[in-house]
Amino acid sequence: MTPRLVFDVAAGLAILFACVMVVHRHPVKSVLALVVSFFALAVTYVLLAAPLIAAVQVIVYAGAILVLFLFVLMLLNVPEEVRQTPDRPIHQALSAGAIVAFAAALLASLRAYGATRAAPSAELPPGDLAPVARLLFSDHFLSFEALSILLLAALVGSFVLARREESP
Amino acid sequence: MSASDVGMLALRVLAPVLVILIVLPMLQWVERRGAGLIQDRPGPNRVGPFGLLQPLADVVKFFMKEDLIPSHADRFLYVLAPGLATFAALTTFAVIPYGATLNIRGNPVPLVGADVSIGILYLFAVTSLSVYGIVLAGWSSNNKFSLIGGIRSSAQIISYELAMTTAAAGVILAAGSFRLTDVVAMQSGSWLSLPYRGWTVVPQLLGFVVFFVSAFAETNRLPFDLPEAEAELVAGYHTEYSAMKFAMFYMAEYINVVVASALMVTLYFGGWSFPGFHPTSLGGVVLSVLIFAVKTAFFVWIFMWVRWTLPRFRYDQLMRLGWKALLPLALLNLFWVAGLVLWNAL
Amino acid sequence: MTANGIPIGDVLLASGALFVIGLAGALLRRNAISIFLAIELMMNAANLAVLGYAAALHSLEGQIVVFFVIAIAAAEAAVGLAIFVALFRHTETIDVNQINLLKW
Repeated sequence: MTPRLVFDVAAGLAILFACVMVVHRHPVKSVLALVVSFFALAVTYVLLAAPLIAAVQVIVYAGAILVLFLFVLMLLNVPEEVRQTPDRPIHQALSAGAIVAFAAALLASLRAYGATRAAPSAELPPGDLAPVARLLFSDHFLSFEALSILLLAALVGSFVLARREESP
Repeated sequence: MSASDVGMLALRVLAPVLVILIVLPMLQWVERRGAGLIQDRPGPNRVGPFGLLQPLADVVKFFMKEDLIPSHADRFLYVLAPGLATFAALTTFAVIPYGATLNIRGNPVPLVGADVSIGILYLFAVTSLSVYGIVLAGWSSNNKFSLIGGIRSSAQIISYELAMTTAAAGVILAAGSFRLTDVVAMQSGSWLSLPYRGWTVVPQLLGFVVFFVSAFAETNRLPFDLPEAEAELVAGYHTEYSAMKFAMFYMAEYINVVVASALMVTLYFGGWSFPGFHPTSLGGVVLSVLIFAVKTAFFVWIFMWVRWTLPRFRYDQLMRLGWKALLPLALLNLFWVAGLVLWNAL
Repeated sequence: MTANGIPIGDVLLASGALFVIGLAGALLRRNAISIFLAIELMMNAANLAVLGYAAALHSLEGQIVVFFVIAIAAAEAAVGLAIFVALFRHTETIDVNQINLLKW
């Protein structure tokens, strides 16, 4: 069980369940497929020497954001998307074309540059949290504080948006 | 990694899980007899001496019952949900240290499933996944009582997780590490020295109270068992479940109680350590495991005691308590601990 | 160039594949919440690439960037879902093809 094998399996699972998410027409099942996909991504993060991010990924994404999605889906009781004749054929054709073109461009640029850029520098002990925390609260302290203000703004904003209007 | 290493690892991981699974039916007996004691009635006393074989009879009953799947349920998720609940509950135990370090032919073997650097974060990650079992059970049953139970549970668990994590952040701050073995090591020193190295509960009593109350909400136990409030929601999210699937939700609840108790012991009551006790020999290590078990059992009993003593909260009261009382208190505790750490008192 | 014995090519390929899948979901789905999920997936694809390079370059800055992206995604999800709830109250649907009026 080399790290590479584990990484490839986890990444494959993430891709597989991402496909399930896009293809499945039931929104609740889509959310669940994405949970599995994000969980597999967390495994790849551990292998890329970022256990803190892996934990944050599971706690924030799988544990909070996607639960919120499920919560809203249940609250609104969103029905399954019905398969219907495409009412905007041009839109869909253009979308499909754009996706294929983008994938081709991405693959081409990966082949050209992907694996050759940048050179490795000093070793870092994998999985140690203290250096990350030190960096976060020294060099990036201002961004961290700005982020807390952003979260506060989001909190107030979502409260205002979702509040039921008082009956006149 | 040799074969004996693999065997040792498997033993370290599986031993606590097996112990929990064996103790689980006993817990049910303790709860029912305890309920009898508190309510001044005998409780189950027909099967075996003191009703001791009652759990066994219940297990047989669960196996023999017909396993119903409602016709309008989403079959896949309906079957998946109880498994998910039990799985999330069982995997939490992997990072909790349950004994002192064992010495086998000069090799130190810490008695913990996996001593990872993100121990506490792992715990919160897995507990945050436990909500899926309940939410999916509620949704897939296609029953309004189940659905309301599932929605209540997701709101409740997200709300109380915040207070719980903030309270635990105080302990992390004091220990300077997410590693749970470090948290225990921090608490196994002297109670009189400065910096203080005794049980965390003394300097962080406020944090402990917040954590303790949140633990009840996270495990969906009375007085916070709104997701399955039988007076209004029949049985909440597991209304439609029967036989072994119901038993799995039942198991998940008890495992969560044990894990929450073990976590409280580890974070606030010194884990396996005891003042003036520094195990070196094999006997000492066994004693340390026993100390951990006794402390955990004490908190499990408190869970049951509270269940049969307090009435249920109303849902808006529950939310108000979580957001307006526990979260500010947890933040206050965090500031207090930060001050103590700053002035080298911790 | 490898990260922990994992070739950076593998990481980038996985990241690219996830991004394209997310793009396809965002363009082809009609349910607003599914589109939102696809956008979350695209963000995660980018995160994976950043972490891959961070590990290969032995840099910690990558982890900080991803940390911020996750926090911003949380804020985005809160506001986005609030918008959907408000939208659903007005129009009783979250199918983006049926939400075609600027003023109700």
